[in-house]
Amino acid sequence: MTVGIEYYVLLSLALFCIGLFGVLTRRNALMFLMSVELMLNAANINLIAFAFYHGNLTGQVFALFTMALAAAEVAVGLGIILVLYRNFRDVDVTVPSEMRW
Amino acid sequence: MIDAFTLPEWAALAPPLLLALTALVLFAYDSINPRSTNRPVLAGVAVVGALASLVTAVWFTLAGTGADGPDAGYDLWFVVGDSVTGTGAIDLFGGQLVVDQMALFFMIVVAVVTALVAVASYDYMAGHAYQAEYYSLLLLAATGMSTMAAANSLVTIFIALELASLPSYALVAILKDNRGSVEAGLKYFLIGALSSAIFVYGISLVYGATGHLQLEAIAEMIATGEADAYSGLLGLGIVMLIGGFAFKTASVPFHFWAPEAYEGAPAPIAAFLSSASKAAGFVILFRVFTTAFPLETTTAVIGLDWTIAFIILAIVTMTVGNFAAATQQNVKRMLAYSSVGHAGYALIGLAALTVDGGELVLGAAMMHLLVYGFMNTGAFLFVGLAEYWGVGRTFDAYNGLAARAPVACAALAVFMFSLAGIPPFGGFWSKYFLFTGALEAASANSALLLVAAALVVNSALSLYYYSRLVKAVWINDADPSLDRDFGGTPTGLYAAILFAAVMTVVLLPAFGPVADLAIDAASAVLVS
Repeated sequence: MTVGIEYYVLLSLALFCIGLFGVLTRRNALMFLMSVELMLNAANINLIAFAFYHGNLTGQVFALFTMALAAAEVAVGLGIILVLYRNFRDVDVTVPSEMRW
Repeated sequence: MIDAFTLPEWAALAPPLLLALTALVLFAYDSINPRSTNRPVLAGVAVVGALASLVTAVWFTLAGTGADGPDAGYDLWFVVGDSVTGTGAIDLFGGQLVVDQMALFFMIVVAVVTALVAVASYDYMAGHAYQAEYYSLLLLAATGMSTMAAANSLVTIFIALELASLPSYALVAILKDNRGSVEAGLKYFLIGALSSAIFVYGISLVYGATGHLQLEAIAEMIATGEADAYSGLLGLGIVMLIGGFAFKTASVPFHFWAPEAYEGAPAPIAAFLSSASKAAGFVILFRVFTTAFPLETTTAVIGLDWTIAFIILAIVTMTVGNFAAATQQNVKRMLAYSSVGHAGYALIGLAALTVDGGELVLGAAMMHLLVYGFMNTGAFLFVGLAEYWGVGRTFDAYNGLAARAPVACAALAVFMFSLAGIPPFGGFWSKYFLFTGALEAASANSALLLVAAALVVNSALSLYYYSRLVKAVWINDADPSLDRDFGGTPTGLYAAILFAAVMTVVLLPAFGPVADLAIDAASAVLVS
């Protein structure tokens, strides 16, 4: 018995919305990164489920690329958060507001 | 004339490959000699790589690579493909990448801006500890942008986009002890990460609806009606893709990172992002919407004409950008908002497409991005010059700069009047073509009249704040209580500013051939 494609899409949509909610409400930069990861993985669920559904491998291969790019993005993001902490002694994304004069 | 020497087809990718090679050379230099701050060598290598990329892109354009027809190009010594009699668009790796005239056009824009920025960075980044890292990140980002020009599948588009974005985040935050730079990098990164997550989710929905990621294959599935059952998924996917593109091109609704990122970033990087990155965002926007979602068939499936989305985005973007720019006291922020406004002008290229036409207006948008590449880069580099001298950031601080630097200030006047679209400069012609293209399409869709009116009103408004800067440097007197200590004359910054100014003026007599090239490239994309 296979699970219908609509359940996968519902799962990924739920995951995407949880991630989006996190992005909009969390002030901690690390939580923000985790929320973005949730959104990217929602897309991966979609890609793999649809690859199975359509019977071609394009989506699965692209999901691998997405994972690698997500890792690269986190690496750059953590670097920026590190210099953020050094300069502002905080990882709250609402603290840096130098440029609002 | 000797017989042309034929290069293999993959050689058509030489412009991005040369940029990648240069970035790797800089990395190798850095790993051998990590503490080196040998600026002449590092900046020199970066400039040579960018120029090599530029020369090959111009060469291929002249040789008619990727063009159609027997008169496609000149009979040059080295050509790509089997002959010079028009190879048509060169598909590589099963259509994942394509080199056609539009790709080469944008590769030229990216390479020119990269070269200018690398030259200007020689002075601006003097005293910075991480020279090799800076230039290799710059070249890697340029590689991503150049590849975006050739990307022909949602996979390559996403990868190239990330290759352009990730080094850009690091470049904006590269002044690690400067709180403004770090804050700008953080904001740019957060909004970039969010928009790329939305973008890739949109890709997954389009894939779900069509079962393909290659652009022509998507178009075929839409045309044959196989995507009809998933019109909702497809429509939502397209909306999310527009979100990703809006980030890259700094258009509404993802424009609010632009003023923060440009203001905090080193000025050459702000120039790089606002010119090359924007142009690269537009080339994938153009390619995706003309190739994968042809107007007629896509409208039939999703039940909505996507030009409406771009009409709204174009009007809102140019209005928001120009009105916000008019209220700024900070020169760099003014330029940042003006760059949002110019994204709105370029969006007309898609807003005014019609089922059976639009090559004029799409070509006009491409021309605008080329001219913009010179005038906007030059304007940001002038700000870089002012920052180099430490004169401050507001309009008032720029008062009387012409007394110290008349040549650079003359160049600034050229940039400002060209950005505003005053007749004797390149910026006027591209706006004129956008305007006539919008009017032409207005016969099919009267909403385009509104777009054309918005273009005129916003250009008139923009003249106010651009001329305010020219007035500050030329007419106003410097505050005498200010004892300003200008350093020496930075050769690199001056050279880059003057070259950009000369090109802004030279594009005027050369506008005929450039316009023909852009319109040909646009019509080739629209037909396929």
